[in-house]
Amino acid sequence: MHTPRDEMVDGNGRVRPHWRGVLAGFADLPPGGIEACARRMERAFEDEGVTSLLPGEAPAAGQASWRCDPVPLVLPADEFAALSAGLAQRARLLEALLADLYGPQALLAEGLIPPALVFNNPGFLRPCRDASQGWVRHPFLHCYAADLLRGPDGLWRVVADRTSRAGGIGHAQENRRMLGRVLPAAFRGYQVRPLRPFFDVWQDALQRLAPPRDADGSGDGPAIALLTPGVNHRLWFEHVLLARELSCALVEPNDLSVRNGAVFVKTLKGLQPVDVLLRRVAGPGLDPLEFDHAVGGVPGLLDAARHGTVKLANEPGGGVVEAAGLTALLPALCRRLLGEDLLLPQAETLWLADPLALGRVLDDLTGWIIRPATGRGRSQVPALMDLAERAELAARIEARPADYAASAAVPSSVAPCVVGDRLAPRPVRLRMFLMQDGARWHTLPGGLARVEDADGTTAKDVWVLNEEDSRITGPVAQPQQPLSIRRSAGDLPSRAADNLFWLGRYVERLEGAARLIRATLTRLDRGPLLPREVAELQALAQCLSHCGLAAVEDQPSGGATAALRAALLRSVAEGGVVAGLFAQVARLIGSVRDRLTADMYATFTLPLRGLRAVASQARELEALEAAMGGVLRYTASVAGVAAENMVRAGGYTFLDLGRRVERAQSVAAQLHFALAQPPSRIEGGLRLALELCDSVITYRSRYLGVLQPAPALDLVLADPGNPRGLGFQLHALHRLLTELAEGTQSDLADAAARLISEVEAMPGIVLSSQDGQAAATGALSPSLGRIEDEVASLSDAVTRRYFALLPLAQALGGQSDGEALDGNGVAEGLPADLPAFV
Amino acid sequence: MLWRVRHVTTYRYAETVDMATHMLHLTPRALPYQRVLEECVACEPEPARMTQGGDHFGNRVTWLSIDRPHDRFEVTAEAVVDCAFPPPPPEEDTPAWESVAAAPTPDVAEFTFASPMLPESGAARDYAAPSFPPGRSILAGLLDLNARIGRDFAFRAGVTGISTPVSQVLAQRAGVCQDFTHLMLNGLRGLGLPARYVSGYIRTRPPPGGVARRGADQSHAWVSAWLGPRHGWLDLDPTNNVVVAEEHLVLGWGRDFSDVSPLRGIILGGGRHWLDVAVDLTPA
Repeated sequence: MHTPRDEMVDGNGRVRPHWRGVLAGFADLPPGGIEACARRMERAFEDEGVTSLLPGEAPAAGQASWRCDPVPLVLPADEFAALSAGLAQRARLLEALLADLYGPQALLAEGLIPPALVFNNPGFLRPCRDASQGWVRHPFLHCYAADLLRGPDGLWRVVADRTSRAGGIGHAQENRRMLGRVLPAAFRGYQVRPLRPFFDVWQDALQRLAPPRDADGSGDGPAIALLTPGVNHRLWFEHVLLARELSCALVEPNDLSVRNGAVFVKTLKGLQPVDVLLRRVAGPGLDPLEFDHAVGGVPGLLDAARHGTVKLANEPGGGVVEAAGLTALLPALCRRLLGEDLLLPQAETLWLADPLALGRVLDDLTGWIIRPATGRGRSQVPALMDLAERAELAARIEARPADYAASAAVPSSVAPCVVGDRLAPRPVRLRMFLMQDGARWHTLPGGLARVEDADGTTAKDVWVLNEEDSRITGPVAQPQQPLSIRRSAGDLPSRAADNLFWLGRYVERLEGAARLIRATLTRLDRGPLLPREVAELQALAQCLSHCGLAAVEDQPSGGATAALRAALLRSVAEGGVVAGLFAQVARLIGSVRDRLTADMYATFTLPLRGLRAVASQARELEALEAAMGGVLRYTASVAGVAAENMVRAGGYTFLDLGRRVERAQSVAAQLHFALAQPPSRIEGGLRLALELCDSVITYRSRYLGVLQPAPALDLVLADPGNPRGLGFQLHALHRLLTELAEGTQSDLADAAARLISEVEAMPGIVLSSQDGQAAATGALSPSLGRIEDEVASLSDAVTRRYFALLPLAQALGGQSDGEALDGNGVAEGLPADLPAFV
Repeated sequence: MLWRVRHVTTYRYAETVDMATHMLHLTPRALPYQRVLEECVACEPEPARMTQGGDHFGNRVTWLSIDRPHDRFEVTAEAVVDCAFPPPPPEEDTPAWESVAAAPTPDVAEFTFASPMLPESGAARDYAAPSFPPGRSILAGLLDLNARIGRDFAFRAGVTGISTPVSQVLAQRAGVCQDFTHLMLNGLRGLGLPARYVSGYIRTRPPPGGVARRGADQSHAWVSAWLGPRHGWLDLDPTNNVVVAEEHLVLGWGRDFSDVSPLRGIILGGGRHWLDVAVDLTPA
């Protein structure tokens, strides 16, 4: 076997010229500097919450964190130009091939493509073809990516094509951004081509893809959206980055609706048209009407695409040409379709249905990588197998040779990577990205390099050096229609509003739980309790059981509090209520990731991870108290950061609405329990009420030490200036609901106004009571319980009004009643993610 | 033979359906031996949008969307079709089945592979194999298999659904037209023979003095098998053990039922639903 080529050092042990600058930069670092640099890089990714896997990596147990090596892979300008030209030709070839496979299928009729490679290929999506060729799709491929490696002979070879969704470009951009942040100043002057101009051209190209809109369309330019499978997809983070980079909306299938053949995104203000969907959802997940019902999607989306009212980029079905069996034919097809030879070689690939090819491969299995001929299953590397495994593989191949293809096992070149405090050579592969603007293909001057070693996979940034005296050209200026000024929340997708509302609720619920637990702990700490304190503790225990933090049987009886103590510790342990709240908050933050700046995201997520760990390990009350203190500091910083950074009319309205609803409910409930006391104990109830509303200090400063019902109730119920009181929450609800109505009459705001007047009247009722203030205070308790319920109804009404929960979709199948056409419909088993490098 | 067909599909829903999209394979395709003289698809409630086009197999497809609330949905497809299936060639003129399996032309090869509802099945292949001893002509083998299915399986409605796998049909030795068609396709493809699923109609009420045919008064399905490049496709109806000639009308074809389901839909809401299908096929 040949020695792998070294990217940095030539055969005579000399550093290649284009590496000298990079190497010099690292050489200038003090001892330990390289390692420190790698650590800073790791921390930078952690701070951003970038924990998703690299594209192509099999999901391991839990989430592997993203690693990026600080040493880039360097490509000189001429090498990049050659790669660029070769890949652009390959993209043209694949485009022509797809146009034929989804069109006239002349290549099949001519016998140039064996039918099995198309018709027995799960990537060939029949619903995307009309035999009468009434479906015009140009371009079929809008973006394209290729995986490459450089062999011992110094030649780059393509080892895989990515024609379906071409993922990973967001990761490449992120690597560059992080590297810029942590690399020493020595690199600042380095002549590396920036990535941003590529995205500008891309943005522009997406605009041009838009189909012409009817005259009644809005006056703004075309609406572009990135269609993602959603927050649970492991490339979600990349989708967020890409949408941001391309300044387009990020939508999920459930956000879209097809009406009268046109595609719309559901927003708070109704349906907004969409012209171009940059597709990151697998083809079979696009339209449940035409593909597998069970996968979901947007009913009618394919019909809209077929009639040209929306442009899908890439067109669905492109994955068919990723099959290794077809790769084997590309050199011949290039001559037939383009009249050219492949400019850029590919790793020699053979379809094993050919007996000659089969013989060659079986002769020396170790020289090949075995791949499925059509499906997207795993590649197998015979060189890494023992004799028995190899024999077994050979038997499987001989039984069904047409199911397999083989690619020559070419050793990758090696590039320097940080290992400890030094650089060591590691095998490296490269993914490059292309996009066409209608006239020509553009290559991202960079890419995603990957290094695999015993520790797993590490990414590398790719630096393309500027040619001497070359100019960086930006995109051609496109005349854009002036945007109309908007200040409303109307364009917020309903799903995003829904998630923000619940994020607000859950953060507040977490805070409420922490306050209750802390108030309980201070009493449990005190040793023997006075009768007054026992009554307070009982009221607290009722509050705790009301929100599920303790059970009814955990109530303290007399001075016995062991059960309550145990319940509090249980609530923060794995599976407990507080642990559940942490998980909900984390999930919701992930789902609104695209609405938060990187700094906000870091503020929301970083402390949360630590808090969850500390809380779940609390085994005694001191630790629990400390953890709850941490929770309160966390929720305060979330509220503060949100209030200072989020535009009011946007998602913030819903975040705040959720918080106010939750706090109004919990304050009403807590006062309901605190005030449910006989007249003799009402003073204890009021003291607890002030404490739960964090109003002890304010009360003392206003009224000195004298505790009386009417002033205390005024502070916790009516005072619109007390941010912990009930009145404040209701006023805020009224204001937010009025804003959302945007000048129209709002029955929701009216409902909030009624609650305000009822609550504001309460101190007056107590003051003028004939039966004495203490008794009148106790009599308020049931009303407060009712107010809690009414706020809950108001929350339900908000949900119905703004989040537009659609009824459940179901599928109708055909002949028999009640039975949905079964799930194994069409194109089964295409994994939603990216396959591994071969 | 000139036919008038009227196919009415009615869904009733327990709860209101807010929106619905449907995809129909209910318009007969034109063929060298089948002329479509009139055709029309109507829908109640009035759809917001109705478009027509073709699919990968060259079948006629109708897409429609309804955006008003409804608790009943009815599609009526009507057509007048002149249909004259060519007679089968003499058995001895057809090639040995092995030579048909060995060299499917590119345009028919698609129908030799496994399909969504018909994954490769050793059991189906083993069932079909005795009809194809070495050297037998393809047509003789097909007729034998067609007859064996008629003998071995009971026509019984309600024991299978639209997604019943062939293995279950083989085990219970009973089913309906779709099951027998799937079984025969699965067996033929197992032997490497191109075969496709045909969706259409059969006349079930006999002409005076004729034989009543088995089949629901609904949609019908049968097999189209390839006899080699010289003779092309021949349609066989295993449910009735006949070579398709005078009593059938073609809607379209695919690899299996899932490619040509007469009506698919995604509805929002609806709760439980009830389906009623009525097909009326009369000589015009």
